[in-house]
Amino acid sequence: MSTAAPRAPMDSAVIVARDREDVVVGNEIVRHRLVSRLIHWTVALTFFVSLLTGMPIWTPVFGWMASLFGGLSVCRVLHPWAGIAFFVASIVQFFEWLSDMRVEPWERDWLGPRAVRYMRYEGDDPRTGKYNGGQKLYFWAVSLGSVGLLLSGLLMWFPRSFPRIVMEFAYLVHDFTFICFAVSLVFHIYLGTAAEPGTFGSMTRGTVTRAWARLHHARWYRQVTGEEPRRG
Amino acid sequence: MTTQNLEIRRSSASVLGSLSGMRTAKTVSKYIDTTTCIGCKACEAACVEWNDLRRVATEQTGTYQTMPTLHAEYWNLIRFNERDFDGGIVWLMRKDQCMHCDEPGCLAACPAPGAIVQYANGIVDVNPDQCIGCGYCETGCPFDVPRFHQTTGKMAKCTLCVDRVSVGLEPACIKACPTGCLQFGTKDDMVELGKRRVEQLKSTGFQQAVLYDPHGVGGTGVITVLGHGDHPDWYGLPADPHVPWGVKLWKKVLRPLGVLAIFGAVIGAFSHFNKYGPKEARGSNDPDRNLPDA
Repeated sequence: MSTAAPRAPMDSAVIVARDREDVVVGNEIVRHRLVSRLIHWTVALTFFVSLLTGMPIWTPVFGWMASLFGGLSVCRVLHPWAGIAFFVASIVQFFEWLSDMRVEPWERDWLGPRAVRYMRYEGDDPRTGKYNGGQKLYFWAVSLGSVGLLLSGLLMWFPRSFPRIVMEFAYLVHDFTFICFAVSLVFHIYLGTAAEPGTFGSMTRGTVTRAWARLHHARWYRQVTGEEPRRG
Repeated sequence: MTTQNLEIRRSSASVLGSLSGMRTAKTVSKYIDTTTCIGCKACEAACVEWNDLRRVATEQTGTYQTMPTLHAEYWNLIRFNERDFDGGIVWLMRKDQCMHCDEPGCLAACPAPGAIVQYANGIVDVNPDQCIGCGYCETGCPFDVPRFHQTTGKMAKCTLCVDRVSVGLEPACIKACPTGCLQFGTKDDMVELGKRRVEQLKSTGFQQAVLYDPHGVGGTGVITVLGHGDHPDWYGLPADPHVPWGVKLWKKVLRPLGVLAIFGAVIGAFSHFNKYGPKEARGSNDPDRNLPDA
């Protein structure tokens, strides 16, 4: 007598990660619930469309990117709309993550020596919560930068409506902000994938291992495991 | 737009430049003597006719001027300026069109490869098939010349009748001028003509007469004799035109630094990975493996 092979049980961590986060499931901890991940990937997708349509307009060095969309004139039409979509997604993400992004006074030196020590792997601070100071600063820089890109971009979309000196300023602001974005993004992707294994899973499965949490976000680990009361 | 028989000196958004150096051509120039212009607008009509431009509605602004400013289908406009001067009134007519700068701000600002070109003879031209209609050229131009065409979405301006010039004809506006206040030839010849005219004007009481050929944009392919040379603004001309500093800073400084920064960041990340490797949790980095508590 044969019975149908039992279906493999659904991974419980993945199920929990659909709508809850900061909870322990077996050896995993849910770091980003489904909606949080979807928002992040919407931001990423709209950003990459903006990036790939904007860079060939920026310089012919990256002109080859235009062929991904059917030419430079298509990029010129797509870019502003992709930029608007990116900004809207960024606003949603801003409010989704805002409550975890308050920069503690001791995290301020992430602007300087602490960031260097971090990149040299010279030990993580046991006080590190769900996000470290670098992530928080990145969050605030990206939020501010999005506003800069939006405002300067709107001016560039309608160049005939503004005086020349305003337009010159808009081009410089858009350019400078984009360069900062692009450089930060390289490190954002690098740290989230190759440099820190286990991190990428927090944006795909939604979970990280206990070991990962202990290493990178010690205080968050203590909080979600109940070793230390949660903030607030 | 004609690219088949002219060498290109400069091209917009070109990484390494476009000059092949195979053929040389003398720089050409229009010559405009505002002191002998009678405002007949023959040049306006000739421009529209030769270039097959659509008829644009005229607009009454209280002068004889056809419309307030240049238009995407009206590349040549006589500006009728009036000024109180020396107890009377002076009527300063000036032919307004693309100045064909030696250092074109439009070309510097343009992001579309080949959309704005400068031919070996100095003519600055637009290739509509390459133009993406971004309007950057309008910011780059110190003379407020390029115009965005609302229906085609392309930039348009005077071509200095490059199609005529390249086969040895003079531009249509020059051809139509009845007083000889418009001339066409090599830049050297036109400058010579202009200097002589300025001397003549000075000897007849126009002490401030100048030949307007501004250095800030490397000189222009349209040189203008101004009777009241101490007041180019009376003619609607900027006193010291140059490629806007914002455009220069943007294209010549910020952009190359930005490209370096981006490649630098990628190289930096690779170098970091090679030196420090991945930062892993002690024991294992396999998320499925059960780890003992540290």
